[in-house]
Amino acid sequence: MSMDSRADQSDVHALQEQILELEKRALDELNSVRDLSRLEDLRIAYLGKKGLLTSIMKQLGNLAPEERPIVGRVANRVKSSLLEALEKAKERISSAEEPELEALDVTLPGREPPRGHLHPITQVQGEICKIFGRMGFRVVDGPDVELDYYNFEALNIPKDHPARDMQDTFYISENIVLRTHTSPMEVRVMEKQTPPVSIIAPGKVYRRDSDVSHTPMFHQVEGLLVDKGVTFGDLKGTLTSFVHQMFGRETGMRFRPSFFPFTEPSVELDIRCVICGGTGCRTCSFTGWIEILGAGMTDPEVYRFVGYDPEIYSGFAFGMGIERVTMLKHGIDDIQLFFKNDMRFSMQF
Amino acid sequence: MRVSLNWLKEYVQIDVEPRALADGLTMAGLEVEAMERLGHALDKVVAARIVSVERHSRADKLFVCHVDTGEREVQVISSAPNLAPGAVVPIALPGTRLPDGRVVKETKMVGEPSVGMLLAEDEMGLTDDHSGIMILPSVLAPGTPVASALNLKDWALDIALTPNRPDCASVLGIAREISAVTGQRLNKPEIKIEESTPPIETLTSVTIEDPLGCPRYAAGMIMGVELKPSPFWMRYRLHVSGIRSINNIVDVTNYVLLELGQPLHAFDYDRLKENRIVVRRAKRGERFTTLDGKTHTLSTNILMICDGKRPVALAGIMGGLNSEIFAGSKNVLIESAYFDPLTVRKGAKELGISTEASYRFERGVDFDGVIRALQRALMLISKLAGGKIAKGYIDEYPRPLETPSIDLRIDRTNRFLGTSISREKIAGFLQALEMQTGELEENLLRVKPPSFRVDLTREIDLIEEVARLEGYEKIPVTYPAIKPSEEGDAPEISVAERIAEIMVGFGFTEVISYSFISPTSADMLGVEKQSELRSFVKLLNPLSTEQSVMRTSLIPGLLASVKTNFSYGERSLKIFEVGKVFISQGAEKLPVEKRFLTALVTGLYEHKSWYGGERFADFYDIKGVAEGLLKAFGLDNFFFRADETTPWYRPGACSSIYVEGKVVGTVGQLSSLTLKRLEIDQDVFILEIDLASILDKARYARRFKPFAKFPGVVRDLSVVVGRDIQSARIEDIIKAEGGELVESAKLFDLYAGGKISSSEKALTFRICYRSRERTLDGREVNKLHEAIINKVCQQTGARLREA
Repeated sequence: MSMDSRADQSDVHALQEQILELEKRALDELNSVRDLSRLEDLRIAYLGKKGLLTSIMKQLGNLAPEERPIVGRVANRVKSSLLEALEKAKERISSAEEPELEALDVTLPGREPPRGHLHPITQVQGEICKIFGRMGFRVVDGPDVELDYYNFEALNIPKDHPARDMQDTFYISENIVLRTHTSPMEVRVMEKQTPPVSIIAPGKVYRRDSDVSHTPMFHQVEGLLVDKGVTFGDLKGTLTSFVHQMFGRETGMRFRPSFFPFTEPSVELDIRCVICGGTGCRTCSFTGWIEILGAGMTDPEVYRFVGYDPEIYSGFAFGMGIERVTMLKHGIDDIQLFFKNDMRFSMQF
Repeated sequence: MRVSLNWLKEYVQIDVEPRALADGLTMAGLEVEAMERLGHALDKVVAARIVSVERHSRADKLFVCHVDTGEREVQVISSAPNLAPGAVVPIALPGTRLPDGRVVKETKMVGEPSVGMLLAEDEMGLTDDHSGIMILPSVLAPGTPVASALNLKDWALDIALTPNRPDCASVLGIAREISAVTGQRLNKPEIKIEESTPPIETLTSVTIEDPLGCPRYAAGMIMGVELKPSPFWMRYRLHVSGIRSINNIVDVTNYVLLELGQPLHAFDYDRLKENRIVVRRAKRGERFTTLDGKTHTLSTNILMICDGKRPVALAGIMGGLNSEIFAGSKNVLIESAYFDPLTVRKGAKELGISTEASYRFERGVDFDGVIRALQRALMLISKLAGGKIAKGYIDEYPRPLETPSIDLRIDRTNRFLGTSISREKIAGFLQALEMQTGELEENLLRVKPPSFRVDLTREIDLIEEVARLEGYEKIPVTYPAIKPSEEGDAPEISVAERIAEIMVGFGFTEVISYSFISPTSADMLGVEKQSELRSFVKLLNPLSTEQSVMRTSLIPGLLASVKTNFSYGERSLKIFEVGKVFISQGAEKLPVEKRFLTALVTGLYEHKSWYGGERFADFYDIKGVAEGLLKAFGLDNFFFRADETTPWYRPGACSSIYVEGKVVGTVGQLSSLTLKRLEIDQDVFILEIDLASILDKARYARRFKPFAKFPGVVRDLSVVVGRDIQSARIEDIIKAEGGELVESAKLFDLYAGGKISSSEKALTFRICYRSRERTLDGREVNKLHEAIINKVCQQTGARLREA
């Protein structure tokens, strides 16, 4: 920039005048324009790269450095006023272009896509598997019709053991039963795999028991962890995390001693009754607690059946009834409803 | 096991509220399933002294009594036969609510006013005795509240015992657990007997012929007893525990069973032939009548108690009719034995008998407690029935039993539990449970469990006891570091889940049916005799014939759901089940288990709405579901061919589904014969897919195909053909003749009637021609289209439809 190209005082005034005049003209035109293409022409004419305002602003360079900000401020103000007017014009034209149509009755029912319903048992089973899946348990599958060996013997329940009284069994033959729990999957997996083992096994189980609160078929999820150094504290942690995820962080719970032939120590896990909150009601038999699963540290005897060394490995197993969890979650008070397949029930979930 | 709290308090001090005690027991592994308040309804029942008793003038079975209730004298009418002036009896004054819910009112009985009610024991909920009005101790002043005076305010605790803890099947056993947990002293019941002559050896003998079945048999005797009802306190305790009172002798044996956990049996000594006892196995086919009057035919599995000639009891299970105590019994032989748990269990199971005695023997009683229980019983009998106890007792115990010594490692205990409990504390826990702990090393305790803890044989058993007494709640919560697995989830389950989700997306609702069905369901479907669908896995002990075989098809379950829903008026269904069927491979082998998807539609497929009419489901709805499902799994390479072999479908409305040339399922409409058999009056369409047949194919990842670069040309082909020509045949011709230039050929119009003759139909296909290498020019397409038309007409007898 050369010294002699500096504009004098009067140039500054002229330039300001010029800008203000341009603003007036542009605003008039913008306020009266009727269609969008003409509006676009105006935008280009004033604000485009080679537009009038743009070219004026380019002249600012010719002013003395102390004068530039004075004119610059004016130019910038005009620029934003034009941009604003442009937006307003655009809105005005667009809304004018909307044809007058009859209003829809938005309260008419929409065309709903067909929607089916997953059985609540399937939903809860999926949720349980997902929770344990996140912790690192892998889902395995096994037979419903099972050898006595897997269902009882290898779980440390020999023939003629009083613990067999705990489960009323459907027999197919002397050595074949309908599995009474999902626990046989523990043995089947351990037979095939060396530790570490972390599995869950969902599935149907069968017991010869049918009344208001029992169905002869129901669903369980079994879980098993075997590794070096697994402790009873780990069992508590894993199941505590499950209860928090399944029933909410505030759910009260307690681990209490129990007995299963294939775990020792054995526990049953109770949660605070979700119906009465612990004050006592029919659902919890007025105890304030509801049992949701059985668990325990796997008995060394079971490891011996599958050739694991209990001096090296330890672990825990758990099994829970899915119906029970589903009933608690959804407030279902009749277990028979699960297998009647009445749509008035199914379609609520 | 149901116990009275007041009874428990005799052996251990209990300072906490009943509910807190119940919680404590539960947390120690003795789960209190229920609690019942006893005697609390008797607050308004007071003692009254009978002033006079006169026969009712107009009803000779009623008595008019005047009683002094302390505040005033009232007249009460009663029918009880045991009323005498001077007796103190309980009276419920008007307004009292009795335990059974009745409220006592002032009434008139055959003209005589009756102010209140004199009560029998059963009316007060104390025992089941209704033989007369309860007679209270005469020291009770009239007006004294009965419940507090007799200490009847009590709680019954129902405790669910686990099979490993037979030692807790007694009041003392439970008291012992309370003592271990609370640190309160255990007060064992006193045993003090006064023996007389003659020595027992001169009266009887015991011979054990089967020492494996009966390791120990003790007997004691008491002569000259007086049989009568037991006193109230004993009848009350038996009643709370659910045992019926018989007479003072039998009641004592039951009382000691409840108190100490040792089953006893009382024989009428004079009815034992040769006055002696022999323990032996039953002879095969031997017959024996138990004291409940039932006659059993025995096998050699059964251990018997015999006298010199014949069996007199099923050992450990039940006594015999021929030697039981009866009204004339004078001399009593008490048996206190330790029978082998397995022997008793097998016997009881074989005979189908379960008693309080067999329950305890099966699980194992305290072999060191046999004599104590025997003497306790003799002491109580002599107190209740008089008589003289013979000197000494017989104790046949050829090979004394002993509990094992167990080494407990302190560090392993803590490592296993995730705790850091000191050796001293651990020893303290075990000692509280009456174990002997000798110290070996810093890290080792040598432990000897007491004789009643048959469940403690291994180190792990002791670790559990440590955890239990420390309290599970005190064991710190930690999280295991679970190592990632190299394998994924079982594909059978993940594919089943995906199918279910897709079906739900298609508007179908999932059902879950029982795995067992009726064998007649195969007849309902008209299944042929040799079909594998009749290879049922049969249950040996079904609940009913309706649920006696494992299903070989999911169809019966879905049809049951159809009937359920029809029964209340829902006649439009879209349902499915993903589940297993079971094909028997013979009774001694595990069956083949296959997962199927079975879907069913019936009734309206589309309901009437403001924007459209209703439409009933037809074959193409269920077929479309099959197509959509296969496509969702990326199995585009499927086709359908008419199937004539599935017996339950309507001929001509059934198709097999092929993927890569293999049958993976069927779709069809139930035949009218099938519907008639099932008593369903509406068309039903069914889809079945064998999951195994698509499992592997469904797991392959789809390959991406680049988009077509060159434009396609669309031409329609509209032909009139005979009605029997299947559309797939024309589609096949189009594709064969068009080669790779035909990108797709889709039927989009089907027309019959109108100008078309009744033996014909019009089909219109939209063909898209496209090359991968170049832009097709119109003439080339026209030429190819022409050739296709000619081929179609030539091979199917079709003609072009006139516009």
